[in-house]
Amino acid sequence: MLKLIKLEWKKNNIGKYARNAIILAAVLCLFIFALAYLGIANDPDTGVPDAAPGNGTISSPIELFTSMSFLIFTSVMLSSFIVSAYKNKTMNLMFSYPIKRQKILISQMLAVWSFNFVTLVVTKLLIYGCIILGSRFMVSSFPIDFNMASLGFYIQLIVKSIVVVSMSFIALFIGMAMKSSKATIISSFLLIILTQANVGDLTMANNAVFPVILIVISLVFAFFSICRAETSDLM
Amino acid sequence: MPYILQTNHLTKTIGGKELVSNVNLHIKKGEIYGFLGPNGAGKTTVMKIITNLWKPTDGKVEIFGETLTPQSYEVLKRMGSIIEFPTFYDHMTGYENLKLHSEYMGYYNHGSIENALDMLDLTKAAGKPVKNYSLGMKERLGIARAILCKPELLILDEPTNGLDPVGMKQIRDLLKTLCTEYGITIMISSHILSEIESIANTVGVINHGMMMKEIGMKEIEQMNLAYIELSVMNTKKAAYVLSEKLGLINFKIIEDGQIRIYDNHVSTQELSKVLALNDVEVIAIGKKAETLEDYFLKMTAEVKNYVEAD
Repeated sequence: MLKLIKLEWKKNNIGKYARNAIILAAVLCLFIFALAYLGIANDPDTGVPDAAPGNGTISSPIELFTSMSFLIFTSVMLSSFIVSAYKNKTMNLMFSYPIKRQKILISQMLAVWSFNFVTLVVTKLLIYGCIILGSRFMVSSFPIDFNMASLGFYIQLIVKSIVVVSMSFIALFIGMAMKSSKATIISSFLLIILTQANVGDLTMANNAVFPVILIVISLVFAFFSICRAETSDLM
Repeated sequence: MPYILQTNHLTKTIGGKELVSNVNLHIKKGEIYGFLGPNGAGKTTVMKIITNLWKPTDGKVEIFGETLTPQSYEVLKRMGSIIEFPTFYDHMTGYENLKLHSEYMGYYNHGSIENALDMLDLTKAAGKPVKNYSLGMKERLGIARAILCKPELLILDEPTNGLDPVGMKQIRDLLKTLCTEYGITIMISSHILSEIESIANTVGVINHGMMMKEIGMKEIEQMNLAYIELSVMNTKKAAYVLSEKLGLINFKIIEDGQIRIYDNHVSTQELSKVLALNDVEVIAIGKKAETLEDYFLKMTAEVKNYVEAD
């Protein structure tokens, strides 16, 4: 499986995605740093951060913007690795190899999932690290509500990253069903709205049970994406 | 007779439309099998089922003595194929594409990539990204990939599409070499008859999803397809001489002044002599052979009539 994943990275030019991920991480880091220390989100009249109810602390924008960005990034990669492969017929070639079709699809999904999981974790650590570093010299507009010395912080960071990256499997399923890369990416936007947005003070972003439900739904959709691969015709 | 590949009553229906119906084909080990049919006849459908990309609605495929199932992955190791058109990872070079193919096939043989590139005259272009290849080069690279892992069975769906006449000849010669020197069995589909005629040992003719005929090239040659065409001034008199003086019964008056003699016992020399002796003025006389094209057209015309009558 590891070999298949490496081959997926190789043939899909993973270097290009790595470069883009670094740029994305840098932009996010700068943006969050500006939110915290340059006051770009502050209300010009009051000087207080203009945040939605319940999102007044620094971890909220960090989680929101990294999740949004990487959910889209993962969906773009999934559409390029899998949906486009069906469209440009390279999947015909893949399915002519003496390898189980499900194994091929799982390797493609894992190639994207693992890359984005690692990238998202590293990006979050970089941003949280920059905020902590900045707090030594400046005062943050948003209260700092995390402790990088606690184990709980890392567990939460990893769990949230798993949820976000896995959620893209829902977008993948929709994209595969509609045979459209655009549908994959648009679905990821809808997923962001569903999971990250808030109506007044109602939001699903901070619900404890919600990640578990999302993981289960994502895995079900991932299963649906590959379950009929062995017996269905490759159109 | 042991067949390396055979299908039994192969049927494929998609959306209520029968793409192929009851196709029985038989390919012997070590032969070149020409799969002939006009566009839309069902050639690609059959080839997709053989390569396990599509699953049959009914009937079965036996390949290397095993019945093909959705789980038949091992047989794919022993096959090379091009279905429809060869696809590549365009940003990668020709060499990298072949290397990737070897990795997926689990085939590691030193020098095999260089050898395949050399056979298809692609050594110089091997380092270029495939996106810069011409259509003909991509077609040749597809064949290089198909033969790279020394398959026992090669399935080629119209592999000379996009090639110029020189390229076509090169591929024909290569396929002959692969068959005679390496013992590779080849199934090649085409709607260009002259391509198949010169290399195939057996041809299968498919039209409107139905297998019309499967026949060896030698049999075609022996099927009285050769004839003598005679142009005369007086058809009636000539016919009388042929039947009464020469005792021929297997001849046909095509049009006024033109007769085809299918009886292969009589020579042109004897014919001209007897006709001259009986005062029949001969304008032209010559031996002709019904080409595979005539045979193929006859076949497809028959099925067209059959379908229309249905």
